[in-house]
Amino acid sequence: MDYCNDIISSEEKDILQEIMNIAFGQAAADLADVINIFVVLSVPYIEMLNAQDLPEYLKSQVCSYDRISIVEQNFWGDFKGSAFLVFQANAGRELVSLFGEDPGGGGSDSIDALEKETLMEVGNILIGACVGKLSELLGDLVTYSPPRVVIENTPNDAIPANVFESNSSAIVLKTVFNFNERDVNGFLFLVTSHDSILWLKKSLADFMEQYE
Amino acid sequence: MIRTILLVDDSPISRRMMKSCIPKDRGYEIHEAGDGLAGFEAYKANQPDVTFMDLTMPVMDGSESTAKIREFDPNAVVIVCTADIQIKSITNVLDLGALMVMKKPPSKEAVEDALSKAAELIG
Repeated sequence: MDYCNDIISSEEKDILQEIMNIAFGQAAADLADVINIFVVLSVPYIEMLNAQDLPEYLKSQVCSYDRISIVEQNFWGDFKGSAFLVFQANAGRELVSLFGEDPGGGGSDSIDALEKETLMEVGNILIGACVGKLSELLGDLVTYSPPRVVIENTPNDAIPANVFESNSSAIVLKTVFNFNERDVNGFLFLVTSHDSILWLKKSLADFMEQYE
Repeated sequence: MIRTILLVDDSPISRRMMKSCIPKDRGYEIHEAGDGLAGFEAYKANQPDVTFMDLTMPVMDGSESTAKIREFDPNAVVIVCTADIQIKSITNVLDLGALMVMKKPPSKEAVEDALSKAAELIG
């Protein structure tokens, strides 16, 4: 069964992909404004899954990383769901120096705290700008939970299955990025629930109406 | 005078959006390509007056394609239309000879303005 085509058409998928491309472009520009970094963007990828399969899917996507750090943030509006920003484990230390901090200073507790703070800040900017732009283009306004950071977990334990509702669907919007001046790669996944899909279909049609 | 336009973008939806923003009453001949390499080939085959170029594309990205087109034809008019609005990306393609950079999603006004600037340059 092509799970995706049963729920959204290939044209809707293409529109969503283009909107995601615009939204993550905005997020990258916002981050580049705040810290001295250049984000190498890639073509975003959309996939529709059963929500119960999500933890397994997310694990398979980051399996090349031994240990990972995750920034997770929930958002609510007509468009609602969760965003997961996934980095390989050393990312926090690489990014700390971009904020003008010395990653080598202080004890291990303070390094962990600094890394956590940095990942939270980067996550907040990327997720907020991306989800915000996506919602704006689709005529919605979302609110966010505070970001939650998990540092240096294994991909197996990263995302527990019980965070997703069973028997619901999820659109996974995936984009891979690379911070050019630093050895940092990551993924951004946006997972939206079944409740948002009808709204999303209508909003995508409304968005394209201006181009008919 | 602008007669032919080339749209280079990997997203068919994005090309559709661009096409709908191009004034229909001027009889432009429009060609399309789905990646930077195909865009370069289409440029050589059709010699368009104006090329609208995306940046983030598979096979060959828009920066490389712009560079190749400008190397092939130093008078080529390339207008970049992209979601990658980082200052460094914009500066890079302007240095490669792009006439200007438009932010996605395109609007009729922005496309009209870009075509006017291109027409002034072409004469």
